[in-house]
Amino acid sequence: MNDFSEIENELRRLRPAQPSPILFDRIEEAMAEPRRASAAADARSGWWRFTEQPYNWGLGLAAAAALVLFAAITMERQQNRGKEIAQISPEAQTAPLSNRGEASTSSDKLVPAGATRLVYNTRNEGLQFARGSGQPLRRFRYQTHETWQWRNPTTGASLRVSYPSEEVVLIPVSGQ
Amino acid sequence: MNKKNFDGLDKIISWRRLEDKDREEVMQNLVSHENWKSCFSEVAPGLLLFARQWVHSAADAEDIVQEVFIKFWRRNHKIENRALLYAAVRSIALDFIRRDSRRARREASAVGEIDEFIEPQFEFEDDTQRALAEAINFLPCEQREVLVMKIWNELTFAEIAGALGISQNTAASRYRYALAALRNALQPK
Repeated sequence: MNDFSEIENELRRLRPAQPSPILFDRIEEAMAEPRRASAAADARSGWWRFTEQPYNWGLGLAAAAALVLFAAITMERQQNRGKEIAQISPEAQTAPLSNRGEASTSSDKLVPAGATRLVYNTRNEGLQFARGSGQPLRRFRYQTHETWQWRNPTTGASLRVSYPSEEVVLIPVSGQ
Repeated sequence: MNKKNFDGLDKIISWRRLEDKDREEVMQNLVSHENWKSCFSEVAPGLLLFARQWVHSAADAEDIVQEVFIKFWRRNHKIENRALLYAAVRSIALDFIRRDSRRARREASAVGEIDEFIEPQFEFEDDTQRALAEAINFLPCEQREVLVMKIWNELTFAEIAGALGISQNTAASRYRYALAALRNALQPK
């Protein structure tokens, strides 16, 4: 004899909330990308795969060798430049200091050239109540990719910085 | 490294390549079928409810369920293996909490007084149901998870025990404690 049959029936009458229709789309999209997905699934074993394939070791060593070579060349160039500066220093002393300063700032000056903010995901994280307030707030999370760009008009050099960012926004929900 | 060792490595590499190729074929076959939708529609509400025990928002629960379902499907596990399915949801939900705890703390300190989520986990028809749903939220976690698996996912005590790594007797007693607590909560005072 089950003493809890009444409460069990009450519980079974409660229906869980249904998934959002977008969840089906998301799963469908994920399933349609088998190649990318299998790569992601193997991400954990990436290091193992690297070590088990001898040619990958070769690639790694080649990359390391190229890096060392590059560093060596750079250092050598810097040393040579240092020697040249040392040789011409008596002539450089004759140039006015103020002019040299201006020349270096004008050629080094980067001016803002643009900014982009790409929102690639928006999540509705549901309703919240602020304590002491009767008005609910809906919480949205925006995942973005921001890019800032600077440009030197004199030399044409440009600098670009990109980074992912996340923003949480609370929007009051009216009762109507 | 001698020739014998290289032969061994070649075998491993070719075996792994074959495995990847087979898996892609399997996945392409699965993608071509639409049966995952009917399968997912059947299990999704119960899985979401189960996942919601550890996370506050429906969006987070959907992320967890999506991750589990896709992994399950790709690895060609049978959806009938419900103990494994629910164990996977539980494991990924706990990973999610660990991963998000630092961010959640930072956001909680930034927004201070706002922390109460009111998104319903059930669709109510009357006040009794609303009161029952609220009472479920006050159950201890270990009782609530057994209740959710038993009532809305129709798992047997053996399956629940398998998913949670506990004995069947423990699962059954947690279920009874949960029902007793809910009955007490609903009794008029």
